[in-house]
Amino acid sequence: MKARTNAEWLIALKSDGHAQATALSDLRVYLLRAALYALYRRRGTLRDFAPTDIKQLAEDCAQDALSAILKHLDQFRGDSRFTTWAYKFAVNAALVAARRERWGRVPLDRLLDSPDLVERFGSFRDASSDPQRGALQREILEALRQAIETCLTKRQRQALTAVVFEEVPLDELARYWGSNRNALYKVLHDARRKLKAHLSERGFDAKEVLDVLGNDG
Amino acid sequence: MERPALRRLVRDIADTDDEEISCDECFDLVSEYVDLEIAGAVGDRVLPRFQQHLRQCGVCREEYEILCDLARLEAEGNLPRLPA
Repeated sequence: MKARTNAEWLIALKSDGHAQATALSDLRVYLLRAALYALYRRRGTLRDFAPTDIKQLAEDCAQDALSAILKHLDQFRGDSRFTTWAYKFAVNAALVAARRERWGRVPLDRLLDSPDLVERFGSFRDASSDPQRGALQREILEALRQAIETCLTKRQRQALTAVVFEEVPLDELARYWGSNRNALYKVLHDARRKLKAHLSERGFDAKEVLDVLGNDG
Repeated sequence: MERPALRRLVRDIADTDDEEISCDECFDLVSEYVDLEIAGAVGDRVLPRFQQHLRQCGVCREEYEILCDLARLEAEGNLPRLPA
């Protein structure tokens, strides 16, 4: 396969005839390789897949990536290698597919319904052997529990529970809610901002909270 | 409550900025960042908001890590060949 500079990739892909066909065929091989690499790195989530199934899935992902690349070709600014830029579309397609395979069979409705984040906070016990530190832990936890109960919407609580506590991937929860990754990230960002502001109003700064609850001990 | 999850939540709250980039903006920047990192030039042009997003977003971080490995293998000429 011919090695190309960024400019050569762009000229060939935007041309027509033989040069374009060759570039497209070469790019498809690069993308297939990237998709296969990403899927094999997530082999654990594709346990039911035979090697031929993984190859087929990789081919589908490479095709999706190729379509996305051609659609976004004018947005390539040349601030990376063209192949690195192209690979990200294949990696994204492959990992979205792997996550869907892993989480598609998990009943998210049940996971989202119970238990609520406020109840989960009620079950937390401080683990510090230092009574002063333990008291501070309880104070911060209570402030956090209150903030979750009073400042967050039900959707924000569910999103935090699913993503932070159950480790549901953002794109899978977004898909379940008929939303998208950006919108869900904003839901979580707004929730975190509210919690941080509430803690700050109660006199706890981020560094102190992190020191008392963010580390072991 | 699961302690590791609580630690994650606390770290995420502490690391929250008023303005954060979206997953789309992260996707837009990731190839540039990966190539800078491979070239050892990330210190010359740090993208703090990109790095902050990676700390907050598990799916973007997963995609970044695999892209990074892939680009590094390619730069070293060690990219796995396609199976026959």
